[in-house]
Amino acid sequence: MKRMATAELRFQPEQINGRRGNRQRRPAVLRLLEAERSEEIFPLLLEEIIALGFPRAMAVDVNFDSGDITPAAALKWPRQQLEKFATALWTSDHQLVTVLHTARPAVLTKSNLHNRPIYVHPILYSNRNLCWEADRMRTAICLAVQNFNREKKIRIEEQVCSTCEMRAYAAAVVVEVPRQVPAQTIAELGELIELANRYLSRLFKVEHYYNRMRDMEITIAQMGTVMQSMADPVILTDTQHRVIMQNKAAERFFRVPDEMTEGLVRAVELNNLLFSAALSSMLVSGSDSHRDLTLVDAIEGEEMLFEAVSAPTYGPDGIQIGTVTVMRDVTDLRRADQELRSNYDKLREAEEVVRQDRDRLNLIIENVGDPIVVCDREAKIVLVDPLAQELFGAAFDVPRDAVQFKNQTQLAAYISNFTYSFADRENAPVRLYNPAMHQEIEYDARSGKIFDEFGQVSYTVTVLRDLTAVRRVEQLKVERRMLEIEKFAATGRLAATIAHEVNNPMEAIKNAIYLLAGSMPESSAPVYNILKSETERVARIVRQMLGLYRNTEQVKPVSVNVIIEDTLLLLNRQLQRSNVEVESNLGVLPDAVIAADQIRQVLSNLVINAKDAMPNGGKLIIHAKHIPNPDGLHGWVRIIIADTGTGIPREMIRSIFEPFVTTKGEKGTGLGLWIVKGIIQNHGGKLSVKSKLGKGTVFKIDLPVVKL
Amino acid sequence: MNDAGKYRILVVDDEASVLLTYRLILEQQGYAVTACSTSREAIEAVERESFHAVLCDYSLEEQHTGFEVITAARKRDPELPAALLTGYATLETADEAQVKNIRVMFKPIEIDEFLATTSNMLRRDHESKQEIIGEEDAKPQGAAKNRGQRDSAARRRAPAGPVKE
Repeated sequence: MKRMATAELRFQPEQINGRRGNRQRRPAVLRLLEAERSEEIFPLLLEEIIALGFPRAMAVDVNFDSGDITPAAALKWPRQQLEKFATALWTSDHQLVTVLHTARPAVLTKSNLHNRPIYVHPILYSNRNLCWEADRMRTAICLAVQNFNREKKIRIEEQVCSTCEMRAYAAAVVVEVPRQVPAQTIAELGELIELANRYLSRLFKVEHYYNRMRDMEITIAQMGTVMQSMADPVILTDTQHRVIMQNKAAERFFRVPDEMTEGLVRAVELNNLLFSAALSSMLVSGSDSHRDLTLVDAIEGEEMLFEAVSAPTYGPDGIQIGTVTVMRDVTDLRRADQELRSNYDKLREAEEVVRQDRDRLNLIIENVGDPIVVCDREAKIVLVDPLAQELFGAAFDVPRDAVQFKNQTQLAAYISNFTYSFADRENAPVRLYNPAMHQEIEYDARSGKIFDEFGQVSYTVTVLRDLTAVRRVEQLKVERRMLEIEKFAATGRLAATIAHEVNNPMEAIKNAIYLLAGSMPESSAPVYNILKSETERVARIVRQMLGLYRNTEQVKPVSVNVIIEDTLLLLNRQLQRSNVEVESNLGVLPDAVIAADQIRQVLSNLVINAKDAMPNGGKLIIHAKHIPNPDGLHGWVRIIIADTGTGIPREMIRSIFEPFVTTKGEKGTGLGLWIVKGIIQNHGGKLSVKSKLGKGTVFKIDLPVVKL
Repeated sequence: MNDAGKYRILVVDDEASVLLTYRLILEQQGYAVTACSTSREAIEAVERESFHAVLCDYSLEEQHTGFEVITAARKRDPELPAALLTGYATLETADEAQVKNIRVMFKPIEIDEFLATTSNMLRRDHESKQEIIGEEDAKPQGAAKNRGQRDSAARRRAPAGPVKE
C-alpha cells in the first residue's frame, strides 16, 4: 500500500490524441495540475514529452520490496523493446541502474538499451517543505526535503523516512533524444520532468496519508471488533469520567436502554454513580488501580460483582486524556472463593474438634490409671499408654527384656483369640508380670473391637485393670463388715449377760407383782399400777433387746411375701382399730435366705410404727418386688413400707436407728428401729428411710437374694 | 380349776425368788406344784414321782441344764410335756429343744402366755392320750407328729388367754 500506485501501461496514445487533437493545447503545468491521482502523472508527462517533439518516452519504476525495475508506462516505444529496461536494482552492469544510483539525469548516447541516444532522468520522492508529520513531530528530518536538497548522498536502497517511516518511491523517465540534441532542449525536458515529479510527490504524499488513514480505519475497526467481542465490560472515559466509548458488555450496565422503565433507569444511574465513584477512588489512590464493584445487571436485574481494573490513556503529547477500565465479572469467582473459604474454615473447625477430641482422649487415656493397649488385626501392639508401656514396651518395638516378651506373648494369645472370635467385647482375666510389684498379677482385661468400613476388625482396644487394688478394697470391706458383726456379736453377748443378770430378778419382781393383785388395799391401787406398768416396761425393753440376739432360728429360703402376709394378718385387728387402710402390692419374688422370725419382727416393728404414726388413721402401703442384678445370679428383694402419718422431724431422722431414741415418748422403748437395723444388717441387707413432716414416712428394705 | 387340780407340775429354777413366784402363780391356778432349785433335787423328784408337765429353767447350778432334768423325767414318761424357760438361747439349744419336742419360753415371760402355754401343754397331752386310748380319731398317729408344727403355728398367731374349763 505504501508503494506508489502505478499506471501500468494503461495509457493509450491514440485515444488521448484523438480526444485532445482538436483542442488548443493547454500548458503542461496546468495539465499536470489536473491530475487527481499519482498514476495519472506518468501518462500525462509522457504525453507532454512527446508533445515537445521527442519520438518516444517511458517511465520505469523501482519496486523496493523486490528490487525489480520495470517499465511502468511507455509512449511510442515498441513493446518488445521495453523488456530491455526491465532489470533489478542490484544488477551492477545495467546502465539504467547505474544512472538510477547516481540519482542525476544523464544522456546515454551509446547504450545497449536502445539504438538511439536516450535521456535518463531518475526521480525520487522529494519536496521543498517538511511534511506534516515532521511538522507535528517538530523535527527537521524529512526524507522528501533531504531528497530535494540532496543534503546527503542519495542511496536508492534506503528511501525510507526516518521520521514517519514513509517508504519513498524511485523511478526514472527515459526519453529517446536526437543524436545532437541541444543542451537547451535537454534542460527543458529536465524541468518538465522535475515539475511532474513535484506533482507526483504531492499526490504520493496525499495518497500515502490516505492509505495510512485507511489502514488506521481498518485497525480501528479491528480494535472495535475486538473490544465489542470482549465479554467483560470495557469503558473508555475522559478525565471528567464521561464515557467516551464502551463495548456492548458495558452498555448492559451503563447505557440507558431504549425501553425505559423506571427501575432500569435507576439501576443504570446507580451503576454509573458507583462506577464514577470507583474511578475517582482509584484515581486518588494512584498506585492501586483495582476495585471491587457491585453492579446491577439492567436486563437480568441481578447483582453482579466486578473487579474493575483501570489504566490511564495518554495522548500523543503525553498528557492523560482518559482512563480505560476493564471489568471482570468475579461473581462466580467470589462465590467459589467464599465457598472455598467457608469450606476451609469448616475444615479447620472440624480439625479443631478432632484435635480437641484427640487431646481429650489422650488425657483420658493418660488418666485412666489402667494400662491401655491398642492392637491391630494381627494382634501387634500399635499404641500403648505409659502404664501399658511398662508391661509390654513401646509400640512397634522389640521387647526389651524377658518380662515384656512374656507379657507380649500372653497378651497376643488373648488378643488373637478375641480378634477371631465373634464377640464384639470380651472380659477375661489375663495374668501378666508387673515389673513394679515384682510379681505376676491377674489383670481384668476388657476389650472392644474397632471395625473398618468393610466390617473387618481393624483394631482392638484393651483396658487392663489391676484387680489387686479392687480386691484389697473388697477385702477391707469384708473385714470391716466382719468387725461390725463381731461388734454386734459382742453387744449380743453383753446383752445375754444383762439378760441373765437382770432378767431373773425382774422375772421374780414381775411375778410377785402379779401375785399381789387382789390382795392390795384399794388405796394402794395407783401405786400398784405404777409398779405393774413400769415393770412391764422394763420387761418389754429386756425382751426386745434379747429378741435380737436370740439366734434361735436357722436361715433358710423363705418367701418374703408369706412373711408380709402373716404380719399383716397378725396386726390386722390393731390396724383396723386405728382406722388404717392397708394397700399391699406383692410382686413375684424369689425366695430370700433369711431368718423368718427376725424379718417378721422387722416387719411388725415397722408396721406398728406406721400405725402409731397415724393416730387418726391413714394409709399403710407395703410393696415388695424383685430387683434383679444384671448378672442374673443375685439381686435384691425390696420391701417398701410407707405410711401417711406424722413423719419424722428432720433433726431426728439421723438418730432414729440409734438405741433408746423414740418419737413415741413413754410408750416406746426406743429399740424397735435399732433392732430392725441390726437384723437387716445381719442379713446383709440395706435399710433407708425418707420422711416428710405431716406427709408420712417411707422405709425401704433391700434383702439380698442368694441362689443356693 | 377343777381340771387343774388333777395336774402335777414340776417347776425348776435356780433363782429362789423366781422359783417361788412361779410356784405361787401355778398354785393360784390350782395346779399341784413341786418346786426344785437344783437339777439334782429335780432329778430326785422325777425319779420319786410322776408329773404331768415339767417347766424347767435352762441354765441351772454349775454347768447343769434343764435338758438333764427333762431327760430324766422322760425316762418314766417319754411323752411328758416339757418346756424350757430361759432368757437367752443359742441356736444349738433351740434346735435341741425342737428335736426333743420341748417348748421354749423366753424370759421375761408374760404371765398370761406362761399360763396359756402350760394349760395348752397339759390339755394337748391329755387329749392325745385320750385319742390314743379311745381310738376314735381318724388320724391317731398324726397328732403327736404334727404337734411341733401346730405349736409353732399357734405361737405365730396372737397368744390365746389361759384355758379355763
